[in-house]
Amino acid sequence: MAGRGKLIAVIGDEDTCTGFLLGGIGELNKNRKPNFLVVEKDTSITEIEETFKSFLARSDIAIILINQFIAEMIRHAIDAHMQSIPAVLEIPSKEHPYDASKDSILRRAKGMFSAEDFR
Amino acid sequence: MGVSEGEESCLLLDEKLLHFMDQLELLEKKRTSLNSLIEQGWFSMTKARYSMGNKLVSALQYANEMDPLVCVHVRTLDSGEVVFCTEKSAHKCSEESTKDHTCVENVGPQEEGIRHRKKKKNITEKKPGEDASGERSPDDNVVRKGDRDPLQDPLKWFGILVPQPLKQAQSSFKQAIELSAEIAALQIAVLNTQEELKNSLTNKVTSGEEFKGSAGEGGDPKESTGSKQEDTKGPSLIGSTDNGV
Repeated sequence: MAGRGKLIAVIGDEDTCTGFLLGGIGELNKNRKPNFLVVEKDTSITEIEETFKSFLARSDIAIILINQFIAEMIRHAIDAHMQSIPAVLEIPSKEHPYDASKDSILRRAKGMFSAEDFR
Repeated sequence: MGVSEGEESCLLLDEKLLHFMDQLELLEKKRTSLNSLIEQGWFSMTKARYSMGNKLVSALQYANEMDPLVCVHVRTLDSGEVVFCTEKSAHKCSEESTKDHTCVENVGPQEEGIRHRKKKKNITEKKPGEDASGERSPDDNVVRKGDRDPLQDPLKWFGILVPQPLKQAQSSFKQAIELSAEIAALQIAVLNTQEELKNSLTNKVTSGEEFKGSAGEGGDPKESTGSKQEDTKGPSLIGSTDNGV
């Protein structure tokens, strides 16, 4: 296991998780902790945030894929994450198409051209 | 001297900004293709759901044991760039598929036997087991099957003979995973370039101010005292950074 690569984690609705797990990223580790979270209607924001933070804390995760509408719920936690690894990637969901203006990375890049940046 | 240094820094800034723009453009392109791949995957999955039944393609079908078939190797280059390389455990899959072909023929009778086996297993655990030696071969099969499960193709979670659209969905999502690794690397590169750009911009502004200060001290006293001329100099410096950017 020493040379094993890192994982891709998913936080998303059922279809997104099913799709990416079908792609082969799913893992249940020795403690039976999954690297994915299926967000349903009754999933609380606290649970999502805790899972996101636990993924950030895990050293075996390199990329976190998250539905943009879920990212909106925990935007403060995503904006607070400044490290490059794990990289957080916002993806669209069935009901919510991808909006580049909400993406935290693109918003940071956009900040480059704001008046505040030249002060 | 100062002017040429200023020009050089302007050119450097220009180059970095163009590089930054290129990266953003590439990011947008890859984003678009990632989104379309994911959409395609969903569409195929919905088709599969239509033919298989609503509840047969859901989170309830996930296996109890999962091992990743795709891993990401993170490499940091000398330039500070981070590269994510996806690696598929393709050999495992192919082994699995060949094993599964042999396994498929035995699935029916073995599954029937499993119910008996659990009971017999309990009995054999209670009784010390020479008489269970005859029963061990199906037990071994179960163990082997259990070992194989974590490495199983996720398609098998949804049945042995899955419809074609589900396979299409799988291939779309596999491509999406590879692309998402590329996008993640690109995002990091964009942020790094942005930081570099910011740093060189602040360096340029501070060096410009120093130059301006030294020119003010060494130049005509009229210039240094004339508030109107200073006012016109200020915006011109900012203007030059704007042009540089």
